[in-house]
Amino acid sequence: MEKENKNKPKIAIVSLTSCEGCQFALLDLGERFLELVKQVEMVDWGMIEDQEDPGVALDIAFVEGTPITEGNIKTLKKIRERSKLLVVIGNCAAMGGIPEIKNYQEGKNTIKYVYRYIQGINNPEIKEVDNFVKVDFVFPGCPIDGEEFLKYFPSLLKGEIPQIPDQPVCVECKARGNKCLLLEGKPCFGPMILGGCNAVCPTARMGCQGCRGLRPKGNIKAMRATLKKMMTDEEFENVTEIFGLRDDIEERAKDEQ
Amino acid sequence: MEIRINHINKMEGHAGFMASVLKGDVKSAKLEVKEGVRLIEGILIGRHYADMPIIAQRICGICPVVHNLTAIKSIEKAMRVLVSAETKELRKLLEWGQIVHSHALHLFFLSLADLLDIDNDLKLVEQYPEETKMAIKIREFGMELVKVIGGRVIHPLTNEVGGFKKVPTREEIATLIERGVETLETAEKLGRFFAGFKFPEFSRETEYVCLNNGREYSIYEGDIVSNKGLKISVEKFENNFHELQKPNEVVKRVETRNRNSYMVGAIARINNNYKKLTPRAENYLESLGYRMPDYNPFHNVSYQMVEIILAIEKSIGILRNLKDARLENALTQKYQVREGVGVAAVEAPRGTLYYHVDIDNKGYIKNANIITPTAQALSHLENDIAQYLVEVKDLSEEKRTQKLRGFIRAYDPCISCAVH
Repeated sequence: MEKENKNKPKIAIVSLTSCEGCQFALLDLGERFLELVKQVEMVDWGMIEDQEDPGVALDIAFVEGTPITEGNIKTLKKIRERSKLLVVIGNCAAMGGIPEIKNYQEGKNTIKYVYRYIQGINNPEIKEVDNFVKVDFVFPGCPIDGEEFLKYFPSLLKGEIPQIPDQPVCVECKARGNKCLLLEGKPCFGPMILGGCNAVCPTARMGCQGCRGLRPKGNIKAMRATLKKMMTDEEFENVTEIFGLRDDIEERAKDEQ
Repeated sequence: MEIRINHINKMEGHAGFMASVLKGDVKSAKLEVKEGVRLIEGILIGRHYADMPIIAQRICGICPVVHNLTAIKSIEKAMRVLVSAETKELRKLLEWGQIVHSHALHLFFLSLADLLDIDNDLKLVEQYPEETKMAIKIREFGMELVKVIGGRVIHPLTNEVGGFKKVPTREEIATLIERGVETLETAEKLGRFFAGFKFPEFSRETEYVCLNNGREYSIYEGDIVSNKGLKISVEKFENNFHELQKPNEVVKRVETRNRNSYMVGAIARINNNYKKLTPRAENYLESLGYRMPDYNPFHNVSYQMVEIILAIEKSIGILRNLKDARLENALTQKYQVREGVGVAAVEAPRGTLYYHVDIDNKGYIKNANIITPTAQALSHLENDIAQYLVEVKDLSEEKRTQKLRGFIRAYDPCISCAVH
């Protein structure tokens, strides 16, 4: 097995703090994922093996989760140093995920609702992975879409950075023949959010809440104008906090000024 | 002698292990939890109740279904929202589906390699291609149940307070029945493979706690019962079980009324409810030849196999009942937002999951508490290891580490859930 591996790209999958659902999105691909693993040398993936990570140079490191503990941050920096490409998988790594809600709340004090003894517990402001290291590509979503992973994985293996087309969730939503939730007066962020998820939420009649992040050309002003009839500004802001979208919207508003 | 394992792979979340043995006596044995705190209960405060299931299910990527269900049930209790019988049946299906794919993942991909002394699943998959296919097929049935009813496997979408946003079609139900019948055969086959393993001997008496509604093998509702005679309503859970945080610990442990540790999950449910199994699950259990009560934690893996067969049979039964039911009754009904406190418990793959929520008259959350199975079982696990260590302490470091890792993994702990 070792010999065969010699010329295969070396990859690792590491997890910071998260629900680990993005790793399971890969595992859930079943035999298709096992086929894909055959093309690479899996140097480190804690979900499937007990061996010590040999610490060799990597072609691609896939990183899931939010860096919360000091250990998380160390892991992240180390893996960056030894990887040609660092690819983040999922909303936590890319946008802060649900832990980022704390930043919009009482920040450091939110912990007091949960713990009596807070000494010695890492409780930093939540920051996305790209605040610590350079990120080469993002698989967005909460969780990531396994099909999308399969689609872009081959180019990453070749060392190329794929480009997710700048189209809203609505394109796939229409293609699936869904009735538009907005036309029914139900809040949905689809028009301003980056598609590629096959509109899984609106297909289940759940409004898009933006876990994949803003599309580069997303028109936030128009989106908010449409949503005004369905939700108050406060409600809008609250929903944008769930997947760490709120800071990105505020950033965009600053840029547009 | 200090025994230290920096990281235990192949389980959800980050944890290591530390123990000290003095003159042959185990002085301490502790799981070192290294998971970051996401403060889920804290971030729920002040938010609208509709956000709660969406946020809370993200506690866990393996068992989001049960976090979603339990959050929704607790909110419904708090606001006194009643749901249709069809809604309940669809929710049970979601949970059985969850149990199938979570157990199949654990017993095959996380624990089996330990039984075979293999250090990497890729080798396992190479050596056991047929069994791998079976395990994947079983997982895929569980996943398909969740996907068809919940809209997505990881972090499902359709289930909400009051019912479902969308319900499956009759054709989808019929296809699931067909797949269920096929998968049941596969599960029995994989079951025979697992029945061939000899698990290490180990036994330590404990209290087994789970739900029981008196009528069936309960997962969605019931009282909290134990093999030591406990029988209380879910509302009384926090009077009988105490959550405590020790300094520098991010997991809040849970003790019984007598300040003891206790066990939850497949092994607890089978011990308490084995008389309520479905026919083929019962046959399989009998074929294992275990005696009840069974205090060998390694058998948790076999009991997960029993529950896979049970879950598939249960699912087929529910699906057959739903085939001619009015599924549109499960679509979300209008309800009133009310102030109140609600508690709920559902059997997660790893044991009873408990939610407590306090909602104001506008529907905003004032307080929330979540008690997960792994947090409940943590002290029990450590007490077991302290006893197990006596048996393995004199092995070579490598061998001992391998044994300890395998022992801990048999419990199927979920550290992400435990900390949340």
